Amino acid sequence: MAKPTVILVGADKGGVGKTTVARTLLDYFNAHQVSTRAFDTEAPRGTLKRFHPDITEVVDVTQVADQMKIFDTLGSANAKVTVIDVRAGLLSSTLRALNEIGFLDAAKKGQITFAVFHILGPSIASLEEIAETASVVGDASYFLVKNFINNTTFFDWDPATYNSYFNRIKGASEITVPKLNEMACEQVELAGAPFVSFVANKDAKGDAANYSFVLRGYVRHWLGSVWSEYDRVKLMDLIGQSEEGVRAAS
Amino acid sequence: MSLRSFIGIVASPRPRVGKTFIARLLADFHLYNGRDVAAYDLNAPDDALTQSLPAHAVSASIAEVRGQMALFDALVREDSAYKIVDVGAEAFERFFLLARDIGFAGEARKRGMAPVVFYVASPDAPSVDGYAALARLFPEAVLVPVHNEHLGPAQYRDRFPPHGKGSALLHVPALAPGLRRMAEQKPFSFLEASGVAMPDAPRDAPLEMQRWLRKVFLEMRELELRVLMADLQSSLNVSS
Repeated sequence: MAKPTVILVGADKGGVGKTTVARTLLDYFNAHQVSTRAFDTEAPRGTLKRFHPDITEVVDVTQVADQMKIFDTLGSANAKVTVIDVRAGLLSSTLRALNEIGFLDAAKKGQITFAVFHILGPSIASLEEIAETASVVGDASYFLVKNFINNTTFFDWDPATYNSYFNRIKGASEITVPKLNEMACEQVELAGAPFVSFVANKDAKGDAANYSFVLRGYVRHWLGSVWSEYDRVKLMDLIGQSEEGVRAAS
Repeated sequence: MSLRSFIGIVASPRPRVGKTFIARLLADFHLYNGRDVAAYDLNAPDDALTQSLPAHAVSASIAEVRGQMALFDALVREDSAYKIVDVGAEAFERFFLLARDIGFAGEARKRGMAPVVFYVASPDAPSVDGYAALARLFPEAVLVPVHNEHLGPAQYRDRFPPHGKGSALLHVPALAPGLRRMAEQKPFSFLEASGVAMPDAPRDAPLEMQRWLRKVFLEMRELELRVLMADLQSSLNVSS
């Protein structure tokens, strides 16, 4: 069986668009016909699960039983990729917990592909999170995600200071998620549908909907920009599936 | 899907080249053919089209998302109306960038509507550059260069090659000065002016207007048929 991939999506602050990024990843892998499952750690109700109910399970990542549910099934699950949407504020502690159970060692030995999408906020404090995360990320592929929501500018960051934090993690890549028009964002939230379904004018159940063409266009354009970033950092190569492999499989 | 109707977008990055004049002609052409017309005026604050065609035109704005939704959602709505947008020079860049970003031309085609850009050509560099940019931005649209004879002879038409299936230059002859003054009244209908004696019009005005209008409508009809034929040809090539 192909090597499984685990992608941790986290932030040490709430409201930076972590679940939004997780959703774009799920849509990206689905569009590339990569079997994916997701774990939503916003127990008990979940946030990611609302948009991808069929492939998402709500778990409490601090509980051993749920840790077993996620990591003991990596080899046997049908899904090639496991996306874990980590509750805000728990990224570093989750990475430490993974280190304790030997998960990072398994990644180091090449038994698992492991990637971290660290969603950054605009404040200088967010840069300091990188330093904390850097100490525990191990050999994971590390992606620093600048998510331009709510007119975030990131202009508070001095480029030299940013680079000094960025360079602390060997092989780190930067991903930029542009701002999505607020009204479009709001309508997708109300629809409770994956981004791809909204663009296709389908509701959460997959039935025909009547969303605004303009708002669908904004989402489609935005999603295309986000996916271009994933293409740029060769995400498909990371999980061990080239475009040629996907085309051949389909 | 075969074409059911057209969305006519009259545009130029330059002001005062006759965009609203062309938009009004287009509206009357469709009305002459017994079609419903819905026209959108992006010429705030002048609203010249709305004043000329109050029964068929509304003022529009794309400055905010709500206005964009009101306009573009209406343009792609599957109804019987032939739609026209008079894109003011101020709105030119924003309109077409937005249309590109939201995938307007592709969506219109999917719904059986041909987006046709009536680009009123002028010899200046911004106009030439704007045309070339549109051809790159909208490969699915039919880009029709319009020579408005009122602006002078078309010695520059080689800089505005027709683009898209069925496209060709649309020539709009100059209107005699007396008739042009008539046409500047608001509201004004070319159809009514050509068929009904107006109180202040010269005696032979309706006949002259009729002759002029016939020439213009003939060119528009030929263009329409070319676009339809090209589309049909395309579908036959795809299915064979």
